[in-house]
Amino acid sequence: MYISDKNKQLNTYDAIVIGSGISGGWAAMELCKKGLKTLLLERGRDVKHVVDYPTAMLNPWDFKAGLNNTIKDRETDPVQSTAYSPADKHFYVSDAEHPYVQEKPFNWYRGYQVGGRSLTWGRQCYRLSDLDFEANHKDGFGVDWPIRYKDLEQWYSYAESFIGVSGNRENLPQLPDGEFLTPMELNCIEKHLGDSIRKHDEHRLLTIARVANLTRGWDHRGPCQNRNLCNRGCPFGGYFSSNSSTIPAAMATGNLTLRPFSIVTELLFDEHKQKAKGVRVIDTLSNEVHEFYAKIVFVNASTIATAGLLLNSVSSRFPDGFGNGSGQLGHNLMDHHSSAGAYGVHEAYTDQYYKGRRPCGFLIPRYRNLQDDKSLNFKRGYNIQGHGERQEWMDKAQSIDGFGEDFKAQLTTPGPWTIWMAGWGECLPYFDNKVSLDNFQKDKWGQPLLKIDFAFRENEHNMMTDIQQTSAEMFEKAGFKNIDTFNYNKPGGSTIHEMGTARMGHDPKTSVLNKFNQMHEAKNVFITDGSCMTSSACQNPSLTYMALTARASQFAYEQLKKGEL
Amino acid sequence: MNRRLYIKSVFGLAVAGAASFSIFKWVSMNRAIVPADLIHKKEMLAELAELIIPQTDTPGAKAAGVQDYIIAVMLNCTPAKEQNKFIDGIAELEDYTADQYGKEFLKCSLAERKAVLKHMAKNSSGYSYKILNKINNKLFGKPFFLKLRELTVEGYCQSRLGATQGLAYDYIPHTFDACIPLLKNQKSWATK
Ligand SMILES: Cc1cc2nc3c(=O)[nH]c(=O)nc-3n(C[C@H](O)[C@H](O)[C@H](O)COP(=O)(O)OP(=O)(O)OC[C@H]3O[C@@H](n4cnc5c(N)ncnc54)[C@H](O)[C@@H]3O)c2cc1C
Ligand code: SF4
Repeated sequence: MYISDKNKQLNTYDAIVIGSGISGGWAAMELCKKGLKTLLLERGRDVKHVVDYPTAMLNPWDFKAGLNNTIKDRETDPVQSTAYSPADKHFYVSDAEHPYVQEKPFNWYRGYQVGGRSLTWGRQCYRLSDLDFEANHKDGFGVDWPIRYKDLEQWYSYAESFIGVSGNRENLPQLPDGEFLTPMELNCIEKHLGDSIRKHDEHRLLTIARVANLTRGWDHRGPCQNRNLCNRGCPFGGYFSSNSSTIPAAMATGNLTLRPFSIVTELLFDEHKQKAKGVRVIDTLSNEVHEFYAKIVFVNASTIATAGLLLNSVSSRFPDGFGNGSGQLGHNLMDHHSSAGAYGVHEAYTDQYYKGRRPCGFLIPRYRNLQDDKSLNFKRGYNIQGHGERQEWMDKAQSIDGFGEDFKAQLTTPGPWTIWMAGWGECLPYFDNKVSLDNFQKDKWGQPLLKIDFAFRENEHNMMTDIQQTSAEMFEKAGFKNIDTFNYNKPGGSTIHEMGTARMGHDPKTSVLNKFNQMHEAKNVFITDGSCMTSSACQNPSLTYMALTARASQFAYEQLKKGEL
Repeated sequence: MNRRLYIKSVFGLAVAGAASFSIFKWVSMNRAIVPADLIHKKEMLAELAELIIPQTDTPGAKAAGVQDYIIAVMLNCTPAKEQNKFIDGIAELEDYTADQYGKEFLKCSLAERKAVLKHMAKNSSGYSYKILNKINNKLFGKPFFLKLRELTVEGYCQSRLGATQGLAYDYIPHTFDACIPLLKNQKSWATK
């Protein structure tokens, strides 16, 4: 393609950010706040805060067939329809339009729009600790993280203070405290289980979830109105999303150019300078191809898409993908598992109830392998997430017999207290779990389809069994009845925490990024979405992406000022 | 052979060997239903739903328009296999009514209707093993009565009348009160 100098100037920025989801929104905001003219490229449509949340204020009866997906939905979107409902379908991609290849079953849930999955995420925010950062080094599985908790601590605080996280301080080494707004409250059955857990095991504790939901007004947003309809977008700005928070802040600096409908297909390499010079983009409205140039590029398309984009960016210097001298690009794909857990019913507290819909549950922080426990048949650990409630109509309908007045009376009054909980477990970084390109099948823009080859292994399966056992144990000790331990056996991807395909490390021979998320082999490229993760820990990861992004932005800016990039 | 025994025996065969499961039966179970077949039953569905959730001091299923919900979900959101099971269930109910009372369901007295539905309920109590029920429901769809009741419950509890009068609906709760005393005659919350 020939580009005149004038056009080249028009298309040149200080920084380019690819993807406007959780991590990309942060990169754009940080770079803009530092005064860099920043182009934020997003493949999907624009979603404006409040005005583009069409279902947010609807009542249950506004959905003609309830929250059931249609047969057609299930046929066109066999994967996404298992996550969406008519209430939030518009924030998920269509599988038919955006196919991928599952070499083994893998649910790749996506939202292609401004804000990415920050609109639909569960908002759980947990810090990693040195137990996590040192894990690979200690047991030799995967390469060592090039950072430790102290490197990230201030950036966690920085991210939390900006987005607003409610939670309780617990003083646990394995789950560091943060900058918290007033916590949400546990209900009486959750407190009951918590008391029992604390009485029986000093290493276990039940606490309220730490979530990016605002218990008071914060940065012109919130407070949360306790509607628990967050996945539709929040008109009150009660939870953190790129749309409600980072993107408006970036916009306010006057330095942001947001370009939706722009699929980045390639990073462009400057052979002469041994750096990235920019990106190639397909405009999805006009199908035109454009090039944009910048001094630095942040890649935040989300783990799997980022791996695909880099693999697709080949040059004579990088025949196997951009910055892939290590051969690790696309490999070590991880996702947490959250299939195994337990459900129990309790007979007490029948005179207690609640009002309002708390948009989160509770957390039992990791209690396994805090020291390497030789009696366990798995490495690493899990936390338990769950929630307690009284059975309501949807639950009761399954358990009451018959029909008529008596049935109705039972159906419309609160049932016994119950708790559902499951383990969110660490997945080891296996080289063979990977993303690659399909050389034959293309999407409607002529781009190769991504192939995902992923499976949980023995370590994860053994951990799931342990989750079932310890959950049931905690229930038993707390006097629960009808305890049902389950394993839904969901395939990879189902926890929507994909990470690890362009990992950080000390050594360019075994990793793609250095300790500042800077590409070893192209110093002006930074990757701060989940692909950078060296191990998965068991905490929900997005807060870590935000902290890493803020840290990398600061580093990139300083290097740029020093003329190093 | 009654329907339940029939299904049970087919199920037995299916377990013994998938090959012995008749292709013919499979095809007929998966044929798409004719929407009119269901829409014509609207009045009957309304009466059946009302039997399940009757008008008391709060509105019943019929007033809440549950019949429209049942039809909408059946036609748009239900796999052919289950649609057929449902249509077959209606036919079975009609046959049984004709057999027992020599008239149409809608012409029956309230007591007779109740007896008919009770018969259908008894017919769908399922196996005593949970796992067999699961497999059975997966292969053949939920028994008619259970599907009807499930849709009635969903439709009612999410309808305007059902949610706001049959249950307690809090549009914008503002606060979350984690533990409060249960009020006398406290209704369940309509949404979680
Ligand atoms: C239902 C659900 C619940 C979740 N719960 C939690 C939770 O409780 N806690 C937690 O930590 N995490 C949770 N997650 C995960 C969380 O959403 C992700 O970790 C996070 O969004 C990842 O951020 P990201 O910036 O990498 O990607 P995304 O937020 O997915 O954003 C990526 C963006 O890049 C765009 N893009 C992709 N390819 C291209 C391209 N080639 N060119 C241009 N743009 C492109 C996409 O359209 C998208 O907007 C949840 C996710 C879901 C869906
Ligand atoms: S629960 Fe709170 S944050 Fe979630 S949508 Fe409602 S008001 Fe917004």
